[in-house]
Amino acid sequence: MTKFEKRLNRVLEVFLVILMSVLVVDVLWQVFSRYLLSSPSSFTDELAGFLLIWVGVLGAAYVAGRKEHLAIDILVQRSPPARQQKLQFIIHVLILMFALFVMVIGGAVLVYTRFILQVKSAALQLPLGYVYVVLPLSGLIIIYYEILHILHLNKSN
Amino acid sequence: MEVLVLVISFVLLLVIGVPIAFSIGIAGILTMLMSIDAMPAFTTYAHRMATGLDSFALLAIPFFVLAGGIMNSGGIAMRLINFARVLVGKLPAGLAFVNVIANMLFGAISGSAAAATSAIGSIMGPEMKKEGYDENFSAAVNITSATTGLTIPPSNILIIFSLASGGASITALFLAGYVPGILTGMGIMLVAMSMMVIKNKGTKGLAKVLGKVLLASVLLLGAGIGIKAVHDQASASTFKGLIYGLLGLFLVYSVYKSATNWSFFKFAFRKFLDAFPSLLMLVIVIGGIVAGFFTATEASAVAVLYALILALIYKEITLRDMPAIILRSVRTTCIVLLLVATSIGMSWIMSYENIPQNVSAGLLSLSDNPVVILLMINFILLFVGIFMDMTPAVLIFTPIFLPIVSSQLGMDPIHFGIVMVLNLCVGLCTPPVGSVLFIGCSVANLKIEQVIKPLLPMFIVMIVVLMLVTYIPSLSLWLPGVLMK
Repeated sequence: MTKFEKRLNRVLEVFLVILMSVLVVDVLWQVFSRYLLSSPSSFTDELAGFLLIWVGVLGAAYVAGRKEHLAIDILVQRSPPARQQKLQFIIHVLILMFALFVMVIGGAVLVYTRFILQVKSAALQLPLGYVYVVLPLSGLIIIYYEILHILHLNKSN
Repeated sequence: MEVLVLVISFVLLLVIGVPIAFSIGIAGILTMLMSIDAMPAFTTYAHRMATGLDSFALLAIPFFVLAGGIMNSGGIAMRLINFARVLVGKLPAGLAFVNVIANMLFGAISGSAAAATSAIGSIMGPEMKKEGYDENFSAAVNITSATTGLTIPPSNILIIFSLASGGASITALFLAGYVPGILTGMGIMLVAMSMMVIKNKGTKGLAKVLGKVLLASVLLLGAGIGIKAVHDQASASTFKGLIYGLLGLFLVYSVYKSATNWSFFKFAFRKFLDAFPSLLMLVIVIGGIVAGFFTATEASAVAVLYALILALIYKEITLRDMPAIILRSVRTTCIVLLLVATSIGMSWIMSYENIPQNVSAGLLSLSDNPVVILLMINFILLFVGIFMDMTPAVLIFTPIFLPIVSSQLGMDPIHFGIVMVLNLCVGLCTPPVGSVLFIGCSVANLKIEQVIKPLLPMFIVMIVVLMLVTYIPSLSLWLPGVLMK
């Protein structure tokens, strides 16, 4: 594991734990404010949705780095080692392509247009570009991890 | 043409082992590129992924996982087992019953069949071996009953279904899950008991025991019908009198019992008190949702708080353990969330290309008999469940099958959700990829081949319950109908 990879993992872990904790506090605050302060807060609902996008997409990148996404691996497991290597290579390249085209390119265009159009959220008045920026960001992280996985394949060859 | 591209690319990607979430995404984007230019296709897909996650209902999933994670770190499995032991431990095949009931409770609280299999199985396996139960048999009981927690609420997979169905009521789904989940558990208990009795006393002994069970159930059913008749026919005060009378009788009986066997009563009461805080979480969450105090998502956040306070009071975890527990739950949920995100994109392109309508027309051209269509859908889902995990299966097949059953057969979406989840539960215990089967075997240190034989009868009873739930709608719809007015 390179030094940079270790540091990236650590940063992602800390950030995800913080996001998740804020998420729990946010929804608890929603219940609390409605029943005990009897003035339902207007922003918690929206904030929770945005935080969930961040946790979900960024966490998905983190999980991709650990190769923990669910897959049906009967064929890979029953293949001879040489073919396993080839299949693994194809899998990593395909994930990389998806991250590049949909998450980085598609996501970047999405963020760009939202900033140009100056779209803001209803309650928080937060520019939506900031919310969607997690897509290209996570896409880049996935690409980095997949390149590492591919290099690792070649090394173990 | 688009359908072909979608299906072939998706199956191919799955077979070579591309993670399911990415298989869905890549197949979806390839299909999109057939009819939409590249740039707008990429942007639309990215947009769908993000907005797909922007759902307050979806938020309940990470929270329930986190609450379950906090509770798992403590000794909750042991407390639930002790409680179940007091309830049914003395009956024939008692420990098998204990295993099933502990799994039902643990599965409901933790919301994870995998967690239930390992937590309950690792304690019950050695216990049952000590008392002379066959290891393979014990593992089979543990594996099949671990899936019941997925239908007994709170249940994350039902939230996923609600999302995939375009907004079926989570409260109704939760309530609808009770009867089918408990029925499956009872079916497994009945089969387990029959297998034990046959082994020890032969078929004649079995006839005797089954006769007793039948008599007891007829008596109970009769009492139920009687009470309902009083409720419908007689005045409210008579009904109240009857209920209080019955409660009084029960109280007198239990006082008498405890007076004659004080030490056991004390023991039983202590075990109940131990398990009570964990069981109370189910009451708070489900009761709170049904009574309208909070939504499912708010209930799940309250569950996190409750679990945390409980764990801190019991000193089972310290605040220092929290980051690791939170991170673990984030990992579990992000697997699910990426699946949700990419399949929202895929279901957009599916409806854009009218794919559900085409599949529906295809199925209806084979038969227009509702019984046959439901049977076909069940078979397809059973087959899918053998290879695919539950969450992606629900996300992919709900948008395809739900329009068929709801518009063509007039089936309630709530009912279909329960059928679907119950069906895919069977797949969790089926080789080659049944995850619960794997975990159950590895916890018991057994090979899959050893467990298959005792598993088979329980497997059959799961399918029997599935068929009952499929063709008798009131098994799922009765409880939400009564409680949600």
